Amino acid sequence: MNEKHNISDEPKSITLQQWDERYECLYKAGMPGPDYNGPLGRHFEDGDLRLASLRFDNSPAALRLWNLLLSEEDRLQADREAGRTIIGAMKDLGTVPVMAYALDNVATFYPDGAWWIPCVMQHSAGLLRVADKLGIDESFCPVRAMVGAFETGNHFPTPDLLICSVGAVCDDFSAIAQRVEAMGHPVLWWEVPPRRLAGANETSVRLPSGFTAASSQVDLVRNELRRVAGEIEKATGQTLTGAKLSEGIRKANTVREKISSLRQLVYTSDPCPLPALEMLIVEMLALHYCSDYEQTVEVLDELLTEARRRVDQNVSVLDGDAVRVFWVNPVADLQVMNLLEEVGGRISGTDYMFCHALSQIPDDVEPFEALARTALGDPMVGPTADRARMICREIQKFGCEAVIVSRIPGASHCAFEGEVIGKMVRDGLGLPVVEVEVPTVIDAVRPALRTRLEALMETARGRRQ
Amino acid sequence: MLFAGIDAGSRSIKVVLLEVNGQGPEILASGVDDSQTNQAQRSRALYERVVKDADRSLDDIEAVVATGYARHLLDFADKAVTEITCHARGVRMLLPDARSIIEIGGQDSKVIHLDESGRVEDFTMNDRCAAGTGCFLEMVAKRLDVDLEELGKLASQSKEPSTISSMCAVFAETEIIGLLSSGHEPSDIAAGVQIAISRRIAGMGGHRLKEPVVFTGGVARVNRMDKMLSDAIEKQIVMPKTPQITGALGAALIAAGAVERVF
Repeated sequence: MNEKHNISDEPKSITLQQWDERYECLYKAGMPGPDYNGPLGRHFEDGDLRLASLRFDNSPAALRLWNLLLSEEDRLQADREAGRTIIGAMKDLGTVPVMAYALDNVATFYPDGAWWIPCVMQHSAGLLRVADKLGIDESFCPVRAMVGAFETGNHFPTPDLLICSVGAVCDDFSAIAQRVEAMGHPVLWWEVPPRRLAGANETSVRLPSGFTAASSQVDLVRNELRRVAGEIEKATGQTLTGAKLSEGIRKANTVREKISSLRQLVYTSDPCPLPALEMLIVEMLALHYCSDYEQTVEVLDELLTEARRRVDQNVSVLDGDAVRVFWVNPVADLQVMNLLEEVGGRISGTDYMFCHALSQIPDDVEPFEALARTALGDPMVGPTADRARMICREIQKFGCEAVIVSRIPGASHCAFEGEVIGKMVRDGLGLPVVEVEVPTVIDAVRPALRTRLEALMETARGRRQ
Repeated sequence: MLFAGIDAGSRSIKVVLLEVNGQGPEILASGVDDSQTNQAQRSRALYERVVKDADRSLDDIEAVVATGYARHLLDFADKAVTEITCHARGVRMLLPDARSIIEIGGQDSKVIHLDESGRVEDFTMNDRCAAGTGCFLEMVAKRLDVDLEELGKLASQSKEPSTISSMCAVFAETEIIGLLSSGHEPSDIAAGVQIAISRRIAGMGGHRLKEPVVFTGGVARVNRMDKMLSDAIEKQIVMPKTPQITGALGAALIAAGAVERVF
């Protein structure tokens, strides 16, 4: 690419090397940015080898998003050195961080997010091998990488407080988290029971995600969250008042609202203004803001501005007639999101297993009650049929033409949910569904995976005629 | 006008030359060869040989569509299309009323659901597992010391088919070794394997199959597989005369459609 192209704002899908060349030109041209911004190539040099296999969106907003994501380990390390309290939240996907960020000088992250390390580093970190040796082998889901990360201590500082939800969670996840505790990392466990409808003579509570639950379940979770709050107060030496928690909820809702706006804009616009890969990372920001709330808000604002600009100018990195795909479950190997677009698809709706973290937390009820309702509204804590119905509603809302259910190797929920979701989508909506398994590094199965995705695109296109 | 379809599969390469004139499309020639390791080179060689044997030249070919596992490696093809679409298209020409296709190839197996006009509605493929594929049958034939083509004949001599309980090709092989060492007849094992494969295919959306169900792919040539499949899905199976080349035929038809816009 020449210098003129390198500072152009024409949307393109570019390689890591092209991004580094473009960064140089944008930097010389005075591109503003926070201190963690920089060429993506430096992360590759730090060991994130998989970046060289990915294709990226060429907007400065996307660059900042990637840099925010890939600098999280450095940020957590700086938090540790600055004496901030570091809380590791496991499994709850978006509940505990709302409480933690209501307090000052606290950073929160999900150690289970370490499941991407073996992919991003192409297994070079050896985390899965370490987990194997510690008895958590490949029959468990890739979250087991966190066992290796705790053991090596190379990827995040040991949290001051480690909190994990149990009850209605994957069996394999609980075993992994229990293994972490057995390695000498005490875990504060809290219960989220499997969601159930109210029985006779019981009160029913409507949850933010649209499901309902028995009020006694909401009471239980609310009390559990108060207990967790008590431990966070002890760890931080601060009091989590109702006012502070309400402020934490307001912050979370700000992030969620921005992500919802982006999803609505990106998933419904033709041509699609932002690629699937960057949008996957955007959705992840709903969970723990990459350990920096303020920066997350700024990154999302920039992406929204860029997406709106592209929609207004009718420009995109993708073809206008790309097949509108609904994607279920996150992938371990990020390259698959590129692959979907290579074969002529685009993301038009998602359920990456944390839809509840994209809903607004109610602000018209007592804050612990609001958090409890949100946690119980997680589609993953109820029957798979509930989740499948929610997926069908979202598919209709976003006008998707095909559905991909991505299985996570070793994840206990993946053993049965694909059939339930697939049947409901086929019978109820008449759409084609493909179930694929995505390992942490797809190189060996890429041709087979490509065939399935390509065939789905051909099928969806054929049905347009 | 002449069109070519090449199905570069994991186990074998199939080429179909299609002639399109006022009477519609007609298969002019076809050929099959083993894939071995250099699929692109061997596909090209087979393509040239089929064209030459038909007394035509490569310049006569209007368009080439590649399908199969190595479809993207054939740089001389004008387009690459998946096996799902190609088998559906090929079957539509041979058996226009078909509503379902079971295709068992060397590396994967597929269940394809068609609408009334023969378009693909939905499909299912085996996922990262060799059981229920041609290479699994090859392994079994090797273990039983017969050619793949003889496996069906051997199975037909079975008096009491053995039970193969594992759905994993690796474990199934272990079971076969165990059955042989405990005195089971090879014919019973061969029949047991055919039943196990058929049940596996039936599990891949077999309950949604609508008749007529067409059986294609290289494994369709194995004696008695159609009967075993029919028993497993509890539906009649229809076989095209040349099940192995259905994908290549579909590719040639798509090549013709892209140029002529008539199909």
